[in-house]
Amino acid sequence: MSDIISAFGMVAEPFSLGCLVFGVWIGILFGAMPGLSVNMGLALLLPLAFAFKGISGILMLLGIYCGAIYGGSISAILLKTPGTPASVATTLDGYPMATKLHQPGRALGISTMASTFGGIFSTACLIIMAPLLAKVALQFSKPEYFALAVFGLSIITSVSSGNVIKGVMGGLAGLFLATIGIDAMSGAIRFTFGTNYLMGGVSFIPILIGVFALAQVLQSIEDHWNEVRQTTRLAIDRTLPRLADMKRVFVTLIRSSAIGTFIGCIPGTGGDIASFVAYDQAKRWSSHSEDFGTGVPEGVAAPEAGNNAVSGGAFIPVLTLGIPGDGATAIMMGALMVQGIQPGPMLFVDKAPYVYAIFLGLFFANIVMCLMGYSLIRLFAKVTQVPHVVLLPLILVMTFVGTYSYNNSLNDVCVMVVSGMIGYFLNKLEFSMSSLIIGIILGAMAEQNFVGSLIMSDGSLNIFVTRPLCLFFLIAAVIMLITPLINFGKKKKKAL
Amino acid sequence: MKKLLALCMLVLLTVALAGCGGQKKAAYPADGDITVIIPKAPGGGTDTSARGLIQFLQKELPGSKFVPVNKPDGGGITGMVDLAKAKPDGHTLGMVTVELAMFPHQGKATVTNKDYIAICAPIAAPAALIVPKDAPYNTLDEFVKYAKANPGKIQMGNSGTGAIWHIAALNFEKEFGVQFKHVPYPKGSADIAAALAGKHIEATLADPSVFKSQVDAGKLKILAVMADTRSELYPNVPTFKELGHPLTIRAWAALVAPKGTPKDKVDVLRNAAEKVCNSKEFKDYFKKQGIDPTAIIGDAADKMLADDDAMYAKFLKK
Repeated sequence: MSDIISAFGMVAEPFSLGCLVFGVWIGILFGAMPGLSVNMGLALLLPLAFAFKGISGILMLLGIYCGAIYGGSISAILLKTPGTPASVATTLDGYPMATKLHQPGRALGISTMASTFGGIFSTACLIIMAPLLAKVALQFSKPEYFALAVFGLSIITSVSSGNVIKGVMGGLAGLFLATIGIDAMSGAIRFTFGTNYLMGGVSFIPILIGVFALAQVLQSIEDHWNEVRQTTRLAIDRTLPRLADMKRVFVTLIRSSAIGTFIGCIPGTGGDIASFVAYDQAKRWSSHSEDFGTGVPEGVAAPEAGNNAVSGGAFIPVLTLGIPGDGATAIMMGALMVQGIQPGPMLFVDKAPYVYAIFLGLFFANIVMCLMGYSLIRLFAKVTQVPHVVLLPLILVMTFVGTYSYNNSLNDVCVMVVSGMIGYFLNKLEFSMSSLIIGIILGAMAEQNFVGSLIMSDGSLNIFVTRPLCLFFLIAAVIMLITPLINFGKKKKKAL
Repeated sequence: MKKLLALCMLVLLTVALAGCGGQKKAAYPADGDITVIIPKAPGGGTDTSARGLIQFLQKELPGSKFVPVNKPDGGGITGMVDLAKAKPDGHTLGMVTVELAMFPHQGKATVTNKDYIAICAPIAAPAALIVPKDAPYNTLDEFVKYAKANPGKIQMGNSGTGAIWHIAALNFEKEFGVQFKHVPYPKGSADIAAALAGKHIEATLADPSVFKSQVDAGKLKILAVMADTRSELYPNVPTFKELGHPLTIRAWAALVAPKGTPKDKVDVLRNAAEKVCNSKEFKDYFKKQGIDPTAIIGDAADKMLADDDAMYAKFLKK
C-alpha cells in the first residue's frame, strides 16, 4: 500500500503531470500525421526524457505512446488517411460516418470513447493479470505465430465486403509485396532487380500513404471537379457520444479491448493486427453485419478499442520479462534502464513503486488523452468543412512530406506516388485496399514462421497439429474463411 | 479562420528567422551543421547509441551542431552508400555497422570499409553463448560435450540466416566440430530472448544486452563471450579466448567519415571522441542501457573494420 502511495506521489506532481500532458499532445500530433511514426516521436524526445530526473521523462514517453495510437484515428476518420498502420481499419466505417452521414463529431466522439476504454481496460489487465498473460505469451513459438498470421489473413474475406474474390486477390498481392528483399530465413535476395533500395523490402508506410491518402485525394478531385462551393454550414453534431450509441457499442468495446490486450502481450504483434481482428470480430458477432462499411458505430469503436488496448498489453512482456515486443516498447525500456529501472522479473520485487507509477502513468495518459480528445473534437471536425480547393492540395503536400520524412528517402516518395496511382484505379474496380494492407503486414510473419516451424520440426508438418494453441488458431481461421461463403450461398438461395 | 492563418504565418516566419540567425564564419566543426546518417530505424540499438554519442560529442566540441538523419532503407545499405558518396568536407558523417564487413562478401553491397575513415566505435557487442538457467551444462566445455553427444539437436537461435549471430554460430560449429539446428529470428534479439525464456530453443549466440534482465533475474546464464577482453557488465563470464578458442565475433557500430575527408578535420573529431568515449558519464550512459561501452578510437577502429572485413571475406568465401 505504501508503494502505491509513493507511486501516486511521483506521478501526481505538477511537473510530472505536465510532462504527461505534453507527451500526449505530441503523441496525438505524431499519430495524426501519416509518415510520422510513434517510434520517431519517442526517439526524438528520448534525449529530453533522459534529462528529466525520475519518472517524469518516462511519463512523457508513455503519453506519446498512448496519444499516437489515438491520433492515428483522427486523420483516418476525417480524411481516410490512416495516420498509423493501426488505424487503417478505422477508415472502413469512420470515414463514411464522417462524410456520407455528415457526422464527424459523432465518429470522433465514438473513437475517443473507444480509445480511452481500450487503454484503460488493458491497463487494468496489465495490473491484474500481467504474470498470467506473460505465461501465455511465452507459449507462442514459431508455429503459433504462423497460425496467428493465418488467422489474421482469414480476415480478408470479411473486410472486403463487396467482392470476396477481389479481396483475396488484393491479399495475395500484399503477400507477394512482402516477399521482396533479403529473405532472412534463407539469406536469399528476392525480386530486388539489383537495386540497393529493395534489399530491405518495399517500405510499407509509403504504400499505405499512397493507396489511402493519395488515392483518396485523386478520387476527391474527380468527385468535386467544377463543383460550386456549398455555403450551407454544417452544424457540428454533439461530440459526447449518445447514450444509445454507448449501449450499442458496449459489448463490442469489451470484446475488442480483450482482443487488443491479448494481441498486445504477444511480442512482435501490434496495433495493426489487433485493430483488424477487432473489426472483423465486431462484424461477425453483429446482427446487422451487412451494414458494416457504411458508417456503423461498432465499426468505429471496435478497431479503436482494439488498437489502444495494445498499449497496456505491450507492457506485459516488458515489465514481467524484460522483453520488448516492438520498437516503441524497446525505446521506452531503454529510457527506464537509463533511470536505473531494469524491467524484468526482478522489477516487481526491487522497484515496486516504479511499477505502480508506470501503471498510474498509463491510466493518466488515457484520461488526459480522453479529455484532450473531447475538447478538440470540434476543432478537428472543422476539417470536413474546409473547402476542397483548400483541403486537397494541403493533403497532397502532406502525403509527399510525410512519406519523405519517414525514411528521408526519395525512393519512398516514388513508391508512394506509384501505389497511389494504382490504388486510385483499384478503388474504382472495387478492390479492397485493406486486404492489400493485411497481406503486407502479415506476409513476412506467416512466411518466416512457417519456414521456421519446419526448421524446428525437421520438415514435419505435424508440428502444426500437435500444438493445441496453434491448432486452435488454425481451426478458427478455417471457420472464418468458410462462414462468409456459407452465408453467401444462403443469400443466393433466398434470392432465387 | 483568418486568425488561424495569421498564426500559421507567424510560426513560419519565426522558424525562418531562427534558421537565418547565427551563421557566422567559425572554425570546424562550428562552421555549420554536421549531418550524421544513421542507416537504421529510430529506436534501435544503432540509433540510440549514435544519438547518445552525438550528444556527448556536441558538448565536447563547443559551437558544433550534429543533426542525426535516419536512412534505414534497404536494410541500411542505402544509408551507407549515401555516406560513401557524400561530399568529404567533414559535414557529413555517419554510422556504419558490422554488416559493412559482411555484405560485400555475400553479394549484397558494393561499399566496403575502404570507402570510409573511422572516427570511433562506441559499441562492439560480443556474441555471448546464452542458455537457460536449468540447462544441464554450466561451462563451455560441458556445452560442447553435450552438443557432440547430440549432433543437430541443439536449437540455436540467430537473428536471420547470413546475419551476424548466424555466422557466430557457424564459426562455433567449425571451431568445435559440432552441429546445431539453426533457428532464425529475423526481427532480432528480443524475439530470441522471448524464445529462450519460453524454452522454444536451447541456446543462442547473441549480443547479451537484450538478455540482461533475464540473466539478472537468474532465468538465463551466459557461458562465455566471443571477445578479446571480459565484459564490464559480466566480469565473471570467461571469454572464448581465455578458454583456448580465439573466436572474436562482435556487432560493432562505428562513427565514420567518407573517404577523402581532410585529415585535420578527422583529427578534431577523433580527439573529441577519445575524450568522450573514455569519460565516466558516457560509459554510465551506455551501461545503464545494458550496453558494454567500448572505446576503440581512430586508427584502432579502422583496423577493427579492416580485420573484420578480412575475417568475413575468408569465412564467407566458401
